[in-house]
Order: sequence, then C-alpha cells, then structure tokens
Amino acid sequence: MKARMTFVGIILLVSLLLASCAPEPTPTPVPTTPPDTSAPAEPEYPPAPEYIEVGASIPLTGKFGSLGTQVKVGYDYAIADINADGGVFVAEYNAKVPLRLTAYDDESDPTKAVSNLEQVFSEQPAMVAYLGGAASGMHAATTAISEKNQVPYLGVSFAWWNIHQRGYKFLFSPFPKSPDQARDVFKALNEMIPDAAQRPTKVAVFQEKTDWGNELGGLFKADAKPAGYDVVYYAEYAPGSTDYSTLILEAKAAGADALLAMPTTPDGIAIVKQMAELGWKPKFSLIIRAPDAATWGEATGAAGDYVTVFAGWHYGENFPGVTEINAKHQTEFGRPADILVGPAYSCVQILADAIERAGTLDRNAVRDALEDTDMMTVIGPVSFNADGTGNVLNPLVQWINGKMELVWPLDQQTADFVYPIP
Amino acid sequence: MTKKQLIAISLLLLLTIGLCFVPVVFKSDSTINLFILVLLYLSLASSWNILGGYAGQTNLGHAAFFGIGSLVTRLLWIAGWPFYLCFLLGGFAAVILAMIIGIPAFKLRGVYFAIGTLALAQIMNITVANIWPEMSYNPAIANYQLAPRYYLFLGLAVTTVVAAYLLVNSRWGLGIMAVREGEDAAESLGISSLKHKLLALGVSAFFAGLVGSAFAYYHVSYYLFMPFGAEWTFDPVMMTYIGGKGTIIGPIIGSLFFVLMKQLLVWNVGEYHLIIFGTLFILVVLFLPGGLLEVWHKLQRMLKRKIEAAKAPRTKT
Repeated sequence: MKARMTFVGIILLVSLLLASCAPEPTPTPVPTTPPDTSAPAEPEYPPAPEYIEVGASIPLTGKFGSLGTQVKVGYDYAIADINADGGVFVAEYNAKVPLRLTAYDDESDPTKAVSNLEQVFSEQPAMVAYLGGAASGMHAATTAISEKNQVPYLGVSFAWWNIHQRGYKFLFSPFPKSPDQARDVFKALNEMIPDAAQRPTKVAVFQEKTDWGNELGGLFKADAKPAGYDVVYYAEYAPGSTDYSTLILEAKAAGADALLAMPTTPDGIAIVKQMAELGWKPKFSLIIRAPDAATWGEATGAAGDYVTVFAGWHYGENFPGVTEINAKHQTEFGRPADILVGPAYSCVQILADAIERAGTLDRNAVRDALEDTDMMTVIGPVSFNADGTGNVLNPLVQWINGKMELVWPLDQQTADFVYPIP
Repeated sequence: MTKKQLIAISLLLLLTIGLCFVPVVFKSDSTINLFILVLLYLSLASSWNILGGYAGQTNLGHAAFFGIGSLVTRLLWIAGWPFYLCFLLGGFAAVILAMIIGIPAFKLRGVYFAIGTLALAQIMNITVANIWPEMSYNPAIANYQLAPRYYLFLGLAVTTVVAAYLLVNSRWGLGIMAVREGEDAAESLGISSLKHKLLALGVSAFFAGLVGSAFAYYHVSYYLFMPFGAEWTFDPVMMTYIGGKGTIIGPIIGSLFFVLMKQLLVWNVGEYHLIIFGTLFILVVLFLPGGLLEVWHKLQRMLKRKIEAAKAPRTKT
C-alpha cells in the first residue's frame, strides 16, 4: 500500500511540476512595412468580410433564463434591423457589412458561459465584440474572459457597479448602476412630490446579503441624508429567506414610511405578501429587481401593486425606434417589449455606431470608439465613463393595477405616480 | 501483474502521454477549455464513484467537498499563499469535513445517508453565501493561461483514476466492496463497516477537494458559494450512472459522454439542446441500466458467443 501511495504521490507531483512549467506566451512580432514612395493613387479597398462577427453566451435556460431570453430578443431585433439596412458601414472596406451573432445557451452556469465565450472566440477569430448575457454573477465570469481575450464587451441586466472597478478596459455597460439607483430614488421622490411635507422621510432598507446588495444598501444609506431622508431601519437578510416578519415588524415599529430593497423575485414576492399580512403599508416602496418579472402582478396580486422599480428601461419611453420594437414584440409575443429588450437592443446600436466611427473591425480601435460613444439609442442618449459604466436614463416604473407604468422622469411618464400607496 | 493489467497500464500511459501534448497541438483556448471541463468532471465523477459506486453509499453532498476544497484554496491563494500548498490544503480540508460529517452520517443508512449528505451541501452553500457573499476575482487576469490549468487537471484526473484503481484492488478495497454487498455479512466476517466506509469517504472527499482546488485555480471570477451548488453533486452522479457505476472506466465514459455531448448540442443544436440531451439520458437509463459500459459488455458477450460457436465442432446431420 505504501508503494502505491508513493506512486500516486509521484503522479500528483509531476502534474504540479508540469503545471508550473507551462510556457508563457511569446509576443507576436509586429510586421514592418517600408515607407510608401509611390505617387498617390485611387484607394483600393480590401474585400469586405461576409459578416461582422459578434459572440455571446446567454442564459436562455436555468435560473436566469427569463432574463436571458429578453436580452436575446433585443439583440436579434437590433441585428435584423441593422442588417435590413445593409449592415454597418466599415470605412476600411468602403462597404456595408451585415452583423452576425453567434450566441450559445450557458444554462445560467458561469463555467459553461466561460466555455461558450472561448468557443465562439475560437470559431470566429475575426470576432469584433462580445454581447453579454444577464445577471451579475454571469457577467462577472464572462467579462473576465473578454478582458483576457481583449474583446470589447457590451452587457446589460446588471446594476452592480463594483464589477466596473476592476480596471477592465473592454467592459461597457449601457445600464443604470447602483450609484444611479441610490441617487435617483431620492431625486425622483423630490421631483414627484414637490411638497416636502408630503414626502416619506423615514426610510427602511432591507439589504440582501450579497455583494451587490451590500453595495446598493450602503449607497442608499449614504445618499438618504443629503437628500432629506432618514434611514430609521437597516437590516440584512440572506437571499432565499422565507420569513421576513422580524424585518417587517421592526421597520413598522421604527415608524418607517418608505421601503427600499433589492430582493430576487421569490424573495420580493414573500416580502410584499408578508407586509400585507402583517399590516405594514409604507407610503412608498422601491423594490429593485424582483418586480422586473413580468409575472410579478399575477404572483403578488394587490400586495404587489404600487411597488416601484428601477427597471433599466420601459417600453413607453419616447425615443426613436421604441415604437417599432414594441410593434414587432407585440406581433411576436402579444405584448409590448419586455424591459431588457430595449437595453439589449441599444448594445447592438452602440456597437454598430462604434464600428462605423472606428472605420475598421480592429478590436482595439472598436474599443476606443466605444469609449467615445455619445449617441441616441432606444434607451435614450448614451455615453460612457472611464470605468465603462454608462450615462443612461434610469426610469422609475410603478406597478399600477397589475401593469408596469413609467412614472419618472416626468417628461417620459406613461401614468401618474400613485402616492401614497392606497 | 496479469496480462490484462499490463495492457490497461500501457494504454493509460499512452493516453496520458498523448494528452500531455494537447496544449502543444491545439492552440485554441476553446479546445483546451473543453478538455479541462472533461478532466474536471472525470475527476469529480471518479471521486464520487469511490464512495457511491464501490462503497454503495449514495452521497448527495459531494458538492460540499468540492466546494470546501475550492473555498480554502481560493481564499488562501488570493491571500498570497503558494498555490501548491493551497491546492493540497483544499484536499485535506475536504477530508477533515468528511470525517466530521462521516462519523455521525454513517449511523444513517440507505436513503437517510443520501438525505443527510444532501442537507450538508445545502447548509454549506447557504452558510458560505452568508459569510462570503462577494465575488472572488483572480487578481492576475493579465497573466491568465489555460495551459498550466490543463496540466493540473490532467494530472489530477490521472491521479484520481489510478488511486481509485489501486484502492479497489487492495485489501481495503475488497473490504469496501464487501460492505457494499452486505454490511451485516461483512461485519460477521470481521470487517469493520464504519472504518471501511470512512476510508472510502475520506479518499472520495480528498479527491473531490483537490478538484475543487483546481477549480479555484481555473475559474477567473465566481461567487465563493457557487462550487457548493447542487449541480456539482448531481452532474458527477449522472455521469457515473451514464458510464457505469462501480467501475473504473464508467465515470470516464460518462464524463466524456456528458460533457462532450452536452457542449456539442449547445453549440450545434441551439435552444433544443436540453430536450435532446434529456431524451438521450432517459434512453440510456431505460435501455442501459448498467450504463454505457453495458454496451461494451454486451458486445463482448456477443463476440465471445460467436467465437465459441465458430470453434465448436460442426456435426453433420
């Protein structure tokens, strides 16, 4: 047995040594060209590629499947619309080139998402950009691969700001982030309720114990006071909890008249139902993420009505192209576009614009052009900060009579803000 | 050493040498990544098979051992400890957890042991998510290379398979299998069922922990609780059943089939991949209860019959 154990040990040792001896990549020599001394001639353009290749790994099944399918619809619509016009003009080829998306389902598994992005990168060596999937955990895994492969990455459906603070150069996200949400909730309340005496002033924060929850909860706390609000109750809970009665009763006892929370859909449903059962009805509720689900109204009934959410986008926004997306979605799915369709659509618009401005399919040039983005999209005007976060509209949506209505910014309203909650 | 064993060892050696050249031959990260996934699941399924297949203890908490290996390695490695030390510590952490859990758990038998281990993984998942809710990033993303990860997984896969082979062919292995066949009968022959089950659990957990350690080295960024997810238990279990439980080759065939078939379907069939894979899985379970290995055994028996029939003297009527 001792000899056998030694044998097993030797194999393990050899593998560890091999792992440490793997060669580092050698830098590729840069080809040099002699200076051009000939007379200027008519420019000759190289033949354009058949497609501009774009890759993605999207959770079409699994726990983020409902988000991923919306994102995929947005990408497909945008690519179809751009290609219907001939594609994206690339100055390098003096021609319009259609976009082609290669997207694989990762089953909401980050390990498979990584594998998919590597696969699409190998299949399409000339790939220009990655389009992201959905949910923070998925993006955290895939953005690292885009950074490794030095491929520009455009992603929506994650509000987590910290992911942008890793020094990643290729990540761009035209989607509201936690600092926008924390700032805008108080800004929106102050604008929608001009009479300060009518505003809710005592805030309860139910913070999910996740890194994003921690980030957003901390920002709510920090931004409340300067905006004229007091956080009278702050509590953490583990995602997946089923009993929120302690939090609800303590918030009620603290006299809170506004609730700020960021639960998952099942947790959010449990929270509002238990609030109704325990008779706590704050004047205002902002529950980020959970009410994004199209089934929220059905699942919560009256308890989930008048809850507000920063959805990232709303089909009622008054920007060019939104009507067309809604018409298409209505025909295909029998309802106006879902909330992630618009942001996903905008990713393709932004990418097309960057390629056009870069005039080339070179990934670094496209990345630089993305950084300089300043354009109108279906989600409104978009530009990027140095960390890749987007300067985008952050609409506040309220569930009113089982329907999602856009209530802020005031110039985009599809319905009046219902306050206080009846 | 028998002729059969010699052939098996030679084949394993040749295959390992061949696999050593994968990063040299295949320059695409995607291919290396696919090999890594196969090797990862192969090691994990083989480690599950030691307890589930040979000792007959249905462990539904394998993710706890995989996860603890990954957690310990990742935290220490990110804190600046040498990776190889962290790698081994991940394996030992899994053994410690296994021993803490094993002694009370083995008082439970059959379905109760399975439920107990399932609860363990779930408890670990929730606890780790509560203590470390944050994402873990590899700080050296600029120097990230797949080749060293590949060699680590290759070495681990070979080690796991060889260790499983050596264990089941040892005196201890015979004891473990005797316990599987009948605990009371084994006890009556002087074989301590608790000791043998603990040994199988310890070895199984050690390798699962090492796979978790390698995962911590491989994955660029992930939530620390992610390796405690149920999929890290059920995927290896499925692979082992698909390939053939209680055999050395079964988890190898199962993981190859599971990973390659699934990925190929995702990449080629699109959104219908789950329906097709699910159907294939049901067909295997229905028609090959002994796993894919049964096809080989059936073929062997058929060939043998034909050879015997050909050898038999023909009688004239």
